[in-house]
Amino acid sequence: MERVNTVEPATRNTPEIKADSFINIRKIIMTLIMSGFALLMIVPFVWMISTSFKSPADVFVYPIQWIPSSLNWEHHIKVWTGSDSFVTYYLNSLKISLISMIGAVFLSSFAAYGFARIQFKGREALFLVYLSMMMVPPQVLFVPKFIMFEWAGIYNTHWALILPGMFTIFGVFMLRQFFLTVPAEISEAAFIDGAGHFRIFFQLILPLAKPALATLAIIDFSWHWNDYENALVFLLDKDLYTVPLGLQNFILENNVDYNGMMAAATAGIIPMLIIFLIGQRYIIQGVAGSAVKG
Amino acid sequence: MNKSWMKRQSRLGYIFIGPNMLGVLLFFIIPAAYSFYLMFTDYKFMSPETHFIGLANIRRMLGDELFYVALKNTFVFLLAVPISIVLSFIVAVALNKSVYFQKTLRALYFMPYITSGVAVAFVWMLLFQPSSGPINGFLKGIGIAHPPGWLSTTGSSMYAIDIIWVWFMLGYNMIIYLAALQEIPEELMEAAKIDGARPWQIIRRIMWPLVSPTTFLLLITGLIMTIKNFGIIQAITQGGPGNSTTVLSLFIYQNAFRYYEMGYAAAISWALFVIIMIFTVLQWLGQKRWVHY
Repeated sequence: MERVNTVEPATRNTPEIKADSFINIRKIIMTLIMSGFALLMIVPFVWMISTSFKSPADVFVYPIQWIPSSLNWEHHIKVWTGSDSFVTYYLNSLKISLISMIGAVFLSSFAAYGFARIQFKGREALFLVYLSMMMVPPQVLFVPKFIMFEWAGIYNTHWALILPGMFTIFGVFMLRQFFLTVPAEISEAAFIDGAGHFRIFFQLILPLAKPALATLAIIDFSWHWNDYENALVFLLDKDLYTVPLGLQNFILENNVDYNGMMAAATAGIIPMLIIFLIGQRYIIQGVAGSAVKG
Repeated sequence: MNKSWMKRQSRLGYIFIGPNMLGVLLFFIIPAAYSFYLMFTDYKFMSPETHFIGLANIRRMLGDELFYVALKNTFVFLLAVPISIVLSFIVAVALNKSVYFQKTLRALYFMPYITSGVAVAFVWMLLFQPSSGPINGFLKGIGIAHPPGWLSTTGSSMYAIDIIWVWFMLGYNMIIYLAALQEIPEELMEAAKIDGARPWQIIRRIMWPLVSPTTFLLLITGLIMTIKNFGIIQAITQGGPGNSTTVLSLFIYQNAFRYYEMGYAAAISWALFVIIMIFTVLQWLGQKRWVHY
Protein backbone atom coordinates (compact mmCIF):
# COMPACT_ATOMS: atom_id res chain seq x y z
CA MET A 1 0.00 0.00 0.00
CA GLU A 2 2.78 2.41 0.90
CA ARG A 3 4.72 3.76 -1.98
CA VAL A 4 8.49 3.68 -1.65
CA ASN A 5 9.81 7.15 -1.06
CA THR A 6 11.67 8.20 -4.16
CA VAL A 7 13.68 10.87 -2.42
CA GLU A 8 17.04 9.79 -1.11
CA PRO A 9 18.00 11.66 2.04
CA ALA A 10 21.40 12.35 0.49
CA THR A 11 19.91 14.49 -2.26
CA ARG A 12 18.85 17.12 0.26
CA ASN A 13 21.46 19.82 0.22
CA THR A 14 23.15 21.08 3.33
CA PRO A 15 21.74 24.64 3.57
CA GLU A 16 18.26 23.16 3.95
CA ILE A 17 19.38 21.05 6.93
CA LYS A 18 21.08 24.05 8.49
CA ALA A 19 17.94 26.14 8.21
CA ASP A 20 15.98 23.38 9.92
CA SER A 21 18.22 23.29 12.92
CA PHE A 22 17.68 26.96 13.76
CA ILE A 23 14.51 28.14 15.36
CA ASN A 24 12.54 29.08 12.32
CA ILE A 25 10.51 32.27 12.79
CA ARG A 26 8.36 31.64 9.76
CA LYS A 27 7.57 28.14 10.99
CA ILE A 28 6.56 29.47 14.40
CA ILE A 29 4.22 32.03 12.84
CA MET A 30 2.66 29.37 10.62
CA THR A 31 2.21 27.09 13.62
CA LEU A 32 0.42 29.86 15.49
CA ILE A 33 -1.87 30.66 12.57
CA MET A 34 -2.73 27.03 11.93
CA SER A 35 -3.32 26.41 15.64
CA GLY A 36 -5.75 29.31 15.58
CA PHE A 37 -7.74 27.73 12.76
CA ALA A 38 -7.52 24.34 14.45
CA LEU A 39 -9.12 25.87 17.54
CA LEU A 40 -11.90 27.17 15.32
CA MET A 41 -12.45 23.60 14.11
CA ILE A 42 -12.88 22.22 17.61
CA VAL A 43 -14.80 25.18 19.04
CA PRO A 44 -18.13 23.34 18.64
CA PHE A 45 -16.83 20.52 20.86
CA VAL A 46 -15.48 22.92 23.45
CA TRP A 47 -18.72 24.89 23.49
CA MET A 48 -20.70 21.66 23.80
CA ILE A 49 -18.80 20.42 26.83
CA SER A 50 -18.73 23.83 28.45
CA THR A 51 -22.48 24.32 27.95
CA SER A 52 -23.26 20.91 29.40
CA PHE A 53 -21.85 22.12 32.73
CA LYS A 54 -23.39 25.59 32.74
CA SER A 55 -26.52 26.74 34.49
CA PRO A 56 -29.47 27.36 32.11
CA ALA A 57 -29.20 31.13 32.52
CA ASP A 58 -25.58 31.16 31.28
CA VAL A 59 -26.05 29.25 28.01
CA PHE A 60 -26.30 32.20 25.66
CA VAL A 61 -24.48 34.83 27.72
CA TYR A 62 -22.29 36.96 25.52
CA PRO A 63 -19.28 37.20 25.57
CA ILE A 64 -19.23 33.41 25.74
CA GLN A 65 -18.20 31.95 29.08
CA TRP A 66 -15.82 29.20 28.02
CA ILE A 67 -15.31 28.06 31.59
CA PRO A 68 -18.62 27.74 33.45
CA SER A 69 -18.88 29.83 36.60
CA SER A 70 -19.93 26.71 38.49
CA LEU A 71 -19.86 23.03 37.53
CA ASN A 72 -23.43 21.81 37.15
CA TRP A 73 -23.43 18.03 36.99
CA GLU A 74 -27.22 17.73 37.05
CA HIS A 75 -27.54 17.77 33.24
CA HIS A 76 -25.21 14.81 32.91
CA ILE A 77 -27.02 13.02 35.72
CA LYS A 78 -30.30 13.58 33.89
CA VAL A 79 -28.88 12.10 30.70
CA TRP A 80 -27.54 9.00 32.41
CA THR A 81 -30.29 8.26 34.90
CA GLY A 82 -33.56 9.68 33.53
CA SER A 83 -36.52 7.64 32.27
CA ASP A 84 -34.74 7.17 28.91
CA SER A 85 -31.26 6.61 30.20
CA PHE A 86 -28.25 6.66 27.90
CA VAL A 87 -27.08 3.45 29.60
CA THR A 88 -29.61 1.53 27.47
CA TYR A 89 -28.58 3.34 24.29
CA TYR A 90 -24.90 2.70 24.99
CA LEU A 91 -25.48 -1.01 25.53
CA ASN A 92 -27.58 -1.26 22.36
CA SER A 93 -25.03 0.63 20.27
CA LEU A 94 -22.16 -1.33 21.74
CA LYS A 95 -23.86 -4.64 21.00
CA ILE A 96 -24.75 -3.70 17.43
CA SER A 97 -21.42 -2.06 16.61
CA LEU A 98 -19.27 -4.81 18.13
CA ILE A 99 -21.05 -7.80 16.58
CA SER A 100 -21.32 -6.08 13.19
CA MET A 101 -17.68 -5.08 13.28
CA ILE A 102 -16.38 -8.53 14.24
CA GLY A 103 -18.53 -10.13 11.57
CA ALA A 104 -17.50 -7.58 8.97
CA VAL A 105 -13.77 -7.95 9.62
CA PHE A 106 -13.98 -11.74 9.58
CA LEU A 107 -16.20 -12.09 6.50
CA SER A 108 -14.42 -9.35 4.55
CA SER A 109 -10.98 -10.79 5.16
CA PHE A 110 -12.15 -14.22 3.99
CA ALA A 111 -13.66 -12.83 0.80
CA ALA A 112 -10.73 -10.48 0.23
CA TYR A 113 -8.33 -13.43 0.41
CA GLY A 114 -10.44 -15.28 -2.14
CA PHE A 115 -10.40 -12.31 -4.49
CA ALA A 116 -6.71 -11.53 -4.03
CA ARG A 117 -4.97 -14.89 -3.74
CA ILE A 118 -7.05 -17.65 -5.30
CA GLN A 119 -7.29 -18.09 -9.06
CA PHE A 120 -10.72 -19.27 -10.09
CA LYS A 121 -13.20 -18.98 -12.89
CA GLY A 122 -15.52 -16.00 -12.75
CA ARG A 123 -13.45 -14.16 -10.17
CA GLU A 124 -13.08 -10.92 -12.11
CA ALA A 125 -16.76 -10.84 -13.07
CA LEU A 126 -17.78 -11.43 -9.46
CA PHE A 127 -15.49 -8.66 -8.27
CA LEU A 128 -17.04 -6.32 -10.80
CA VAL A 129 -20.48 -7.12 -9.36
CA TYR A 130 -19.13 -6.22 -5.92
CA LEU A 131 -17.73 -2.94 -7.18
CA SER A 132 -20.93 -2.03 -8.99
CA MET A 133 -22.86 -2.49 -5.75
CA MET A 134 -20.75 0.34 -4.29
CA MET A 135 -22.58 2.67 -6.65
CA VAL A 136 -26.02 1.79 -5.35
CA PRO A 137 -27.01 4.41 -2.75
CA PRO A 138 -28.57 3.22 0.52
CA GLN A 139 -31.78 5.04 -0.45
CA VAL A 140 -32.38 2.48 -3.19
CA LEU A 141 -32.12 -0.34 -0.66
CA PHE A 142 -34.10 1.08 2.29
CA VAL A 143 -37.59 0.26 1.01
CA PRO A 144 -36.95 -3.31 -0.18
CA LYS A 145 -34.95 -4.06 2.95
CA PHE A 146 -37.78 -2.68 5.06
CA ILE A 147 -40.26 -4.97 3.28
CA MET A 148 -37.92 -7.99 3.47
CA PHE A 149 -37.12 -7.46 7.15
CA GLU A 150 -40.79 -7.01 7.97
CA TRP A 151 -41.51 -10.28 6.18
CA ALA A 152 -38.63 -12.11 7.88
CA GLY A 153 -39.66 -10.81 11.29
CA ILE A 154 -36.44 -8.94 12.02
CA TYR A 155 -37.81 -5.43 11.46
CA ASN A 156 -37.66 -3.52 14.75
CA THR A 157 -35.02 -5.87 16.17
CA HIS A 158 -31.28 -5.33 16.44
CA TRP A 159 -30.78 -8.03 13.82
CA ALA A 160 -32.07 -5.60 11.19
CA LEU A 161 -28.87 -3.59 11.80
CA ILE A 162 -26.45 -6.35 12.76
CA LEU A 163 -27.01 -8.77 9.87
CA PRO A 164 -26.57 -6.27 7.01
CA GLY A 165 -23.87 -4.56 9.06
CA MET A 166 -21.66 -7.64 8.81
CA PHE A 167 -21.24 -7.14 5.08
CA THR A 168 -19.13 -4.28 3.86
CA ILE A 169 -18.07 -4.06 0.24
CA PHE A 170 -15.63 -1.32 1.15
CA GLY A 171 -13.99 -3.72 3.63
CA VAL A 172 -13.54 -6.44 1.00
CA PHE A 173 -12.13 -3.88 -1.40
CA MET A 174 -9.72 -2.42 1.13
CA LEU A 175 -8.39 -5.76 2.43
CA ARG A 176 -8.06 -7.13 -1.09
CA GLN A 177 -5.82 -4.18 -1.94
CA PHE A 178 -3.72 -5.02 1.10
CA PHE A 179 -3.50 -8.76 0.42
CA LEU A 180 -2.36 -8.02 -3.12
CA THR A 181 0.69 -6.24 -1.72
CA VAL A 182 1.86 -9.35 0.16
CA PRO A 183 4.55 -10.93 -2.06
CA ALA A 184 3.42 -14.13 -3.80
CA GLU A 185 6.70 -15.87 -2.92
CA ILE A 186 5.65 -16.04 0.72
CA SER A 187 2.64 -18.22 0.04
CA GLU A 188 4.43 -20.16 -2.72
CA ALA A 189 7.06 -21.26 -0.25
CA ALA A 190 4.32 -22.40 2.11
CA PHE A 191 2.57 -24.27 -0.73
CA ILE A 192 5.75 -26.21 -1.41
CA ASP A 193 5.88 -27.11 2.27
CA GLY A 194 2.43 -28.61 1.82
CA ALA A 195 0.26 -25.91 3.39
CA GLY A 196 -3.21 -25.31 1.97
CA HIS A 197 -5.05 -22.04 1.48
CA PHE A 198 -6.65 -22.20 4.92
CA ARG A 199 -3.33 -22.55 6.73
CA ILE A 200 -1.75 -19.84 4.62
CA PHE A 201 -4.68 -17.55 5.29
CA PHE A 202 -4.77 -18.04 9.05
CA GLN A 203 -1.08 -18.47 9.79
CA LEU A 204 0.59 -16.28 7.21
CA ILE A 205 -1.64 -13.66 5.70
CA LEU A 206 -3.83 -12.68 8.65
CA PRO A 207 -0.91 -12.02 11.01
CA LEU A 208 0.74 -9.91 8.30
CA ALA A 209 -2.49 -7.99 7.78
CA LYS A 210 -2.93 -6.95 11.41
CA PRO A 211 -2.57 -3.20 10.75
CA ALA A 212 -5.06 -3.36 7.87
CA LEU A 213 -7.48 -5.41 9.98
CA ALA A 214 -7.16 -2.93 12.84
CA THR A 215 -7.87 -0.05 10.46
CA LEU A 216 -10.96 -1.73 9.07
CA ALA A 217 -12.13 -2.67 12.58
CA ILE A 218 -11.90 0.91 13.84
CA ILE A 219 -13.45 2.51 10.77
CA ASP A 220 -16.24 -0.07 10.64
CA PHE A 221 -16.98 0.31 14.34
CA SER A 222 -17.21 4.07 14.01
CA TRP A 223 -19.62 3.72 11.09
CA HIS A 224 -21.93 1.55 13.14
CA TRP A 225 -21.61 3.73 16.21
CA ASN A 226 -22.48 6.87 14.23
CA ASP A 227 -25.08 5.19 12.02
CA TYR A 228 -28.28 7.14 12.35
CA GLU A 229 -29.99 6.48 9.04
CA ASN A 230 -30.35 2.69 9.26
CA ALA A 231 -31.46 2.87 12.88
CA LEU A 232 -34.03 5.48 11.92
CA VAL A 233 -35.49 3.23 9.24
CA PHE A 234 -35.35 -0.15 10.97
CA LEU A 235 -35.92 0.52 14.68
CA LEU A 236 -39.16 1.58 16.31
CA ASP A 237 -39.17 0.75 20.02
CA LYS A 238 -37.44 3.10 22.42
CA ASP A 239 -35.75 0.34 24.37
CA LEU A 240 -34.01 -0.75 21.15
CA TYR A 241 -32.70 2.73 20.32
CA THR A 242 -29.02 3.24 19.58
CA VAL A 243 -27.12 6.32 20.76
CA PRO A 244 -27.97 8.55 17.74
CA LEU A 245 -31.67 7.72 17.99
CA GLY A 246 -31.64 8.10 21.75
CA LEU A 247 -29.98 11.46 21.33
CA GLN A 248 -32.66 12.55 18.88
CA ASN A 249 -35.35 11.33 21.24
CA PHE A 250 -33.79 13.19 24.15
CA ILE A 251 -33.65 16.39 22.13
CA LEU A 252 -37.26 16.10 20.98
CA GLU A 253 -38.41 15.63 24.54
CA ASN A 254 -36.19 18.30 26.12
CA ASN A 255 -36.14 20.88 23.38
CA VAL A 256 -35.75 23.85 25.67
CA ASP A 257 -33.20 22.26 27.97
CA TYR A 258 -30.08 23.39 26.11
CA ASN A 259 -27.73 22.22 28.86
CA GLY A 260 -29.28 18.77 28.85
CA MET A 261 -29.05 18.64 25.06
CA MET A 262 -25.35 19.37 25.17
CA ALA A 263 -24.80 16.85 27.96
CA ALA A 264 -26.52 14.27 25.75
CA ALA A 265 -24.45 15.29 22.72
CA THR A 266 -21.32 14.93 24.86
CA ALA A 267 -22.41 11.43 25.81
CA GLY A 268 -22.83 10.64 22.10
CA ILE A 269 -19.43 11.94 21.05
CA ILE A 270 -17.11 10.90 23.89
CA PRO A 271 -16.68 7.23 22.82
CA MET A 272 -15.67 8.26 19.31
CA LEU A 273 -13.22 10.80 20.70
CA ILE A 274 -11.63 8.13 22.90
CA ILE A 275 -11.42 5.64 20.04
CA PHE A 276 -9.92 8.34 17.84
CA LEU A 277 -7.26 9.21 20.42
CA ILE A 278 -6.28 5.56 20.83
CA GLY A 279 -6.51 4.45 17.21
CA GLN A 280 -5.54 7.69 15.50
CA ARG A 281 -2.65 6.15 13.60
CA TYR A 282 -4.77 3.37 12.12
CA ILE A 283 -7.66 5.66 11.28
CA ILE A 284 -5.55 8.25 9.49
CA GLN A 285 -3.51 5.62 7.63
CA GLY A 286 -6.67 3.82 6.62
CA VAL A 287 -8.37 6.94 5.35
CA ALA A 288 -5.30 8.14 3.49
CA GLY A 289 -4.47 4.73 2.03
CA SER A 290 -7.94 3.85 0.89
CA ALA A 291 -8.54 7.00 -1.09
CA VAL A 292 -5.18 7.65 -2.69
CA LYS A 293 -5.27 4.19 -4.19
CA GLY A 294 -8.98 4.67 -4.91
CA MET B 1 -3.96 -33.04 -13.10
CA ASN B 2 -4.04 -29.40 -14.01
CA LYS B 3 -7.78 -29.54 -14.61
CA SER B 4 -8.56 -31.02 -11.20
CA TRP B 5 -6.26 -28.46 -9.61
CA MET B 6 -8.25 -25.69 -11.28
CA LYS B 7 -11.46 -27.26 -10.08
CA ARG B 8 -10.13 -27.45 -6.55
CA GLN B 9 -9.05 -23.83 -6.76
CA SER B 10 -12.50 -22.80 -7.90
CA ARG B 11 -14.12 -24.66 -5.05
CA LEU B 12 -11.76 -23.07 -2.55
CA GLY B 13 -12.37 -19.66 -4.07
CA TYR B 14 -16.08 -20.00 -3.55
CA ILE B 15 -15.60 -21.33 -0.03
CA PHE B 16 -13.65 -18.19 0.85
CA ILE B 17 -15.97 -15.77 -0.88
CA GLY B 18 -19.22 -17.67 -0.33
CA PRO B 19 -20.23 -16.42 3.12
CA ASN B 20 -19.67 -12.82 2.13
CA MET B 21 -21.35 -13.35 -1.22
CA LEU B 22 -24.44 -14.66 0.50
CA GLY B 23 -24.74 -11.43 2.47
CA VAL B 24 -24.07 -9.25 -0.55
CA LEU B 25 -26.77 -11.18 -2.38
CA LEU B 26 -29.28 -10.85 0.47
CA PHE B 27 -28.62 -7.27 1.49
CA PHE B 28 -27.48 -5.63 -1.75
CA ILE B 29 -28.30 -7.47 -4.95
CA ILE B 30 -31.79 -8.80 -4.15
CA PRO B 31 -32.97 -5.54 -2.53
CA ALA B 32 -31.60 -3.60 -5.51
CA ALA B 33 -33.49 -5.84 -7.94
CA TYR B 34 -36.61 -5.63 -5.77
CA SER B 35 -36.37 -1.85 -5.67
CA PHE B 36 -36.06 -1.78 -9.44
CA TYR B 37 -39.33 -3.71 -9.65
CA LEU B 38 -41.03 -1.47 -7.07
CA MET B 39 -40.28 1.54 -9.23
CA PHE B 40 -42.96 0.35 -11.66
CA THR B 41 -45.63 -0.31 -9.01
CA ASP B 42 -47.88 1.75 -6.77
CA TYR B 43 -46.71 -0.17 -3.69
CA LYS B 44 -47.73 1.49 -0.44
CA PHE B 45 -46.93 0.06 2.94
CA MET B 46 -50.03 -1.53 4.53
CA SER B 47 -52.13 -1.12 1.39
CA PRO B 48 -53.78 -4.42 0.43
CA GLU B 49 -53.15 -4.30 -3.30
CA THR B 50 -50.23 -3.44 -5.49
CA HIS B 51 -50.53 -2.72 -9.17
CA PHE B 52 -48.06 -2.59 -11.97
CA ILE B 53 -48.30 0.97 -13.21
CA GLY B 54 -45.48 1.15 -15.75
CA LEU B 55 -43.71 4.47 -15.95
CA ALA B 56 -46.34 6.39 -13.98
CA ASN B 57 -43.98 6.94 -11.02
CA ILE B 58 -41.31 8.39 -13.27
CA ARG B 59 -43.86 10.62 -14.98
CA ARG B 60 -45.11 11.72 -11.59
CA MET B 61 -41.58 12.52 -10.47
CA LEU B 62 -40.85 14.61 -13.55
CA GLY B 63 -44.02 16.58 -12.92
CA ASP B 64 -43.47 16.92 -9.18
CA GLU B 65 -42.56 20.47 -8.19
CA LEU B 66 -40.98 19.20 -4.99
CA PHE B 67 -38.62 16.98 -6.96
CA TYR B 68 -37.15 20.06 -8.60
CA VAL B 69 -36.97 21.88 -5.28
CA ALA B 70 -35.07 18.87 -3.92
CA LEU B 71 -32.74 18.89 -6.92
CA LYS B 72 -32.01 22.59 -6.42
CA ASN B 73 -31.34 22.07 -2.71
CA THR B 74 -29.10 19.12 -3.52
CA PHE B 75 -27.13 21.34 -5.87
CA VAL B 76 -26.64 23.94 -3.13
CA PHE B 77 -25.64 21.14 -0.73
CA LEU B 78 -23.04 19.90 -3.23
CA LEU B 79 -21.46 23.38 -3.35
CA ALA B 80 -19.95 22.52 0.02
CA VAL B 81 -17.71 19.92 -1.66
CA PRO B 82 -15.49 22.17 -3.82
CA ILE B 83 -15.34 24.79 -1.05
CA SER B 84 -14.17 22.19 1.43
CA ILE B 85 -11.63 20.87 -1.06
CA VAL B 86 -10.03 24.27 -1.66
CA LEU B 87 -9.87 25.04 2.07
CA SER B 88 -8.46 21.62 2.88
CA PHE B 89 -5.77 22.03 0.23
CA ILE B 90 -4.67 25.27 1.87
CA VAL B 91 -4.62 23.61 5.29
CA ALA B 92 -2.71 20.60 3.94
CA VAL B 93 -0.05 22.77 2.28
CA ALA B 94 0.36 24.73 5.51
CA LEU B 95 0.61 21.59 7.64
CA ASN B 96 2.79 19.67 5.20
CA LYS B 97 6.22 21.04 6.04
CA SER B 98 5.95 24.40 7.65
CA VAL B 99 4.55 23.84 11.16
CA TYR B 100 5.60 22.36 14.47
CA PHE B 101 3.31 19.78 16.15
CA GLN B 102 2.15 18.62 12.74
CA LYS B 103 0.55 15.42 14.04
CA THR B 104 -1.41 17.13 16.80
CA LEU B 105 -2.72 19.78 14.44
CA ARG B 106 -3.63 17.15 11.87
CA ALA B 107 -5.63 15.29 14.50
CA LEU B 108 -7.50 18.44 15.54
CA TYR B 109 -8.53 19.21 11.96
CA PHE B 110 -9.61 15.62 11.44
CA MET B 111 -11.68 15.36 14.60
CA PRO B 112 -15.04 16.53 13.16
CA TYR B 113 -14.94 13.77 10.57
CA ILE B 114 -14.59 10.93 13.05
CA THR B 115 -17.20 12.29 15.45
CA SER B 116 -19.67 12.80 12.65
CA GLY B 117 -23.28 12.10 13.17
CA VAL B 118 -26.28 13.59 14.83
CA ALA B 119 -24.46 14.65 17.98
CA VAL B 120 -22.47 17.35 16.23
CA ALA B 121 -25.54 18.29 14.22
CA PHE B 122 -27.35 19.19 17.43
CA VAL B 123 -24.39 21.21 18.65
CA TRP B 124 -24.48 23.25 15.43
CA MET B 125 -28.23 23.68 15.83
CA LEU B 126 -27.61 25.58 19.06
CA LEU B 127 -24.57 27.42 17.75
CA PHE B 128 -26.76 28.72 14.92
CA GLN B 129 -29.64 29.67 17.23
CA PRO B 130 -30.81 32.90 15.55
CA SER B 131 -31.83 35.22 18.38
CA SER B 132 -29.14 34.63 20.98
CA GLY B 133 -26.90 31.75 19.85
CA PRO B 134 -23.13 32.14 20.11
CA ILE B 135 -22.58 32.72 16.38
CA ASN B 136 -25.10 35.51 16.08
CA GLY B 137 -24.03 36.78 19.49
CA PHE B 138 -20.55 37.15 18.08
CA LEU B 139 -21.79 38.76 14.85
CA LYS B 140 -23.87 41.26 16.80
CA GLY B 141 -20.88 41.86 19.06
CA ILE B 142 -18.74 42.94 16.10
CA GLY B 143 -21.44 45.32 14.94
CA ILE B 144 -23.59 43.34 12.50
CA ALA B 145 -27.07 44.46 13.50
CA HIS B 146 -29.04 41.91 11.49
CA PRO B 147 -27.13 38.63 11.26
CA PRO B 148 -28.64 35.84 9.13
CA GLY B 149 -31.31 33.56 10.56
CA TRP B 150 -29.21 30.50 9.59
CA LEU B 151 -31.27 27.34 9.98
CA SER B 152 -34.46 29.22 10.80
CA THR B 153 -35.14 31.02 7.51
CA THR B 154 -35.78 29.47 4.11
CA GLY B 155 -33.26 31.69 2.36
CA SER B 156 -30.29 30.79 4.54
CA SER B 157 -30.95 27.29 5.86
CA MET B 158 -29.26 25.38 3.06
CA TYR B 159 -26.15 27.55 3.36
CA ALA B 160 -26.03 26.92 7.10
CA ILE B 161 -26.05 23.19 6.31
CA ASP B 162 -23.23 23.83 3.83
CA ILE B 163 -21.13 25.42 6.57
CA ILE B 164 -21.61 22.35 8.78
CA TRP B 165 -20.73 20.08 5.88
CA VAL B 166 -17.58 22.01 4.93
CA TRP B 167 -16.46 21.80 8.55
CA PHE B 168 -17.18 18.07 8.58
CA MET B 169 -15.44 17.18 5.29
CA LEU B 170 -12.39 19.40 5.69
CA GLY B 171 -10.37 17.02 7.84
CA TYR B 172 -10.97 14.07 5.56
CA ASN B 173 -9.89 15.95 2.44
CA MET B 174 -6.89 17.33 4.28
CA ILE B 175 -5.63 13.83 5.21
CA ILE B 176 -5.83 12.71 1.59
CA TYR B 177 -4.07 15.86 0.39
CA LEU B 178 -1.29 15.41 2.95
CA ALA B 179 -0.69 11.90 1.62
CA ALA B 180 -0.62 13.22 -1.94
CA LEU B 181 1.73 16.11 -1.09
CA GLN B 182 4.20 13.71 0.44
CA GLU B 183 4.55 11.99 -2.91
CA ILE B 184 5.71 15.13 -4.70
CA PRO B 185 9.45 14.69 -5.34
CA GLU B 186 11.52 16.95 -3.14
CA GLU B 187 13.86 17.77 -6.06
CA LEU B 188 11.08 19.61 -7.87
CA MET B 189 10.54 22.04 -5.02
CA GLU B 190 14.26 22.46 -4.44
CA ALA B 191 14.83 23.24 -8.10
CA ALA B 192 12.03 25.78 -8.09
CA LYS B 193 13.44 27.41 -4.97
CA ILE B 194 16.89 27.67 -6.54
CA ASP B 195 15.31 29.26 -9.60
CA GLY B 196 13.92 31.89 -7.24
CA ALA B 197 10.26 30.83 -7.14
CA ARG B 198 8.16 32.44 -4.41
CA PRO B 199 6.26 30.09 -2.04
CA TRP B 200 2.99 31.17 -3.65
CA GLN B 201 4.36 30.28 -7.09
CA ILE B 202 5.50 26.88 -5.86
CA ILE B 203 2.03 26.19 -4.50
CA ARG B 204 0.28 27.51 -7.60
CA ARG B 205 2.60 26.13 -10.29
CA ILE B 206 3.94 22.89 -8.75
CA MET B 207 1.85 21.59 -5.87
CA TRP B 208 -1.67 22.33 -7.16
CA PRO B 209 -1.10 20.84 -10.65
CA LEU B 210 0.70 17.79 -9.26
CA VAL B 211 -2.10 16.92 -6.85
CA SER B 212 -4.77 17.46 -9.51
CA PRO B 213 -5.59 13.73 -9.72
CA THR B 214 -6.24 13.79 -5.98
CA THR B 215 -8.37 16.91 -6.30
CA PHE B 216 -10.43 15.23 -8.96
CA LEU B 217 -10.81 12.06 -6.90
CA LEU B 218 -11.84 14.06 -3.83
CA LEU B 219 -14.33 16.04 -5.88
CA ILE B 220 -16.09 12.97 -7.25
CA THR B 221 -16.04 10.89 -4.06
CA GLY B 222 -17.10 13.97 -2.10
CA LEU B 223 -20.02 14.63 -4.44
CA ILE B 224 -21.15 11.00 -4.16
CA MET B 225 -20.80 10.94 -0.38
CA THR B 226 -22.68 14.22 -0.03
CA ILE B 227 -25.52 13.36 -2.35
CA LYS B 228 -26.19 10.15 -0.41
CA ASN B 229 -26.23 11.83 2.99
CA PHE B 230 -29.38 12.92 4.73
CA GLY B 231 -28.76 12.09 8.38
CA ILE B 232 -27.56 15.51 9.51
CA ILE B 233 -30.38 17.32 7.70
CA GLN B 234 -33.07 14.94 8.93
CA ALA B 235 -31.78 15.33 12.48
CA ILE B 236 -31.69 19.14 12.55
CA THR B 237 -34.36 20.45 10.18
CA GLN B 238 -36.32 17.45 8.81
CA GLY B 239 -36.11 19.28 5.49
CA GLY B 240 -37.54 22.57 6.76
CA PRO B 241 -38.25 25.37 7.22
CA GLY B 242 -40.78 24.85 4.44
CA ASN B 243 -38.95 22.58 2.04
CA SER B 244 -35.82 24.67 2.06
CA THR B 245 -33.46 21.87 3.15
CA THR B 246 -35.22 18.92 1.52
CA VAL B 247 -32.41 17.40 -0.53
CA LEU B 248 -33.00 14.50 -2.90
CA SER B 249 -31.90 11.75 -0.51
CA LEU B 250 -34.10 13.15 2.25
CA PHE B 251 -36.98 13.52 -0.21
CA ILE B 252 -36.73 9.79 -0.91
CA TYR B 253 -36.68 8.96 2.78
CA GLN B 254 -39.72 11.14 3.46
CA ASN B 255 -41.74 9.67 0.61
CA ALA B 256 -40.93 6.15 1.73
CA PHE B 257 -41.23 6.38 5.49
CA ARG B 258 -43.32 9.45 6.21
CA TYR B 259 -45.95 9.10 3.44
CA TYR B 260 -45.35 5.36 2.78
CA GLU B 261 -45.32 6.07 -0.97
CA MET B 262 -42.77 3.33 -1.41
CA GLY B 263 -43.16 2.71 -5.13
CA TYR B 264 -42.74 6.41 -5.79
CA ALA B 265 -39.77 6.57 -3.41
CA ALA B 266 -38.14 3.69 -5.28
CA ALA B 267 -38.48 5.60 -8.55
CA ILE B 268 -36.80 8.71 -7.08
CA SER B 269 -34.07 6.58 -5.54
CA TRP B 270 -33.17 5.32 -9.01
CA ALA B 271 -32.93 8.90 -10.20
CA LEU B 272 -30.38 9.36 -7.42
CA PHE B 273 -28.60 6.24 -8.65
CA VAL B 274 -28.40 7.71 -12.16
CA ILE B 275 -26.76 10.86 -10.82
CA ILE B 276 -24.23 8.79 -8.86
CA MET B 277 -23.54 6.70 -11.94
CA ILE B 278 -22.83 9.84 -13.97
CA PHE B 279 -20.32 10.94 -11.30
CA THR B 280 -18.72 7.50 -11.36
CA VAL B 281 -18.40 7.45 -15.15
CA LEU B 282 -16.85 10.93 -14.99
CA GLN B 283 -14.35 9.54 -12.51
CA TRP B 284 -13.38 6.68 -14.85
CA LEU B 285 -12.97 9.03 -17.78
CA GLY B 286 -11.14 11.57 -15.67
CA GLN B 287 -8.74 9.07 -14.15
CA LYS B 288 -7.47 8.20 -17.61
CA ARG B 289 -6.98 11.81 -18.59
CA TRP B 290 -5.84 13.43 -15.37
CA VAL B 291 -3.24 11.09 -14.02
CA HIS B 292 -0.23 12.58 -15.69
CA TYR B 293 2.79 11.34 -13.81
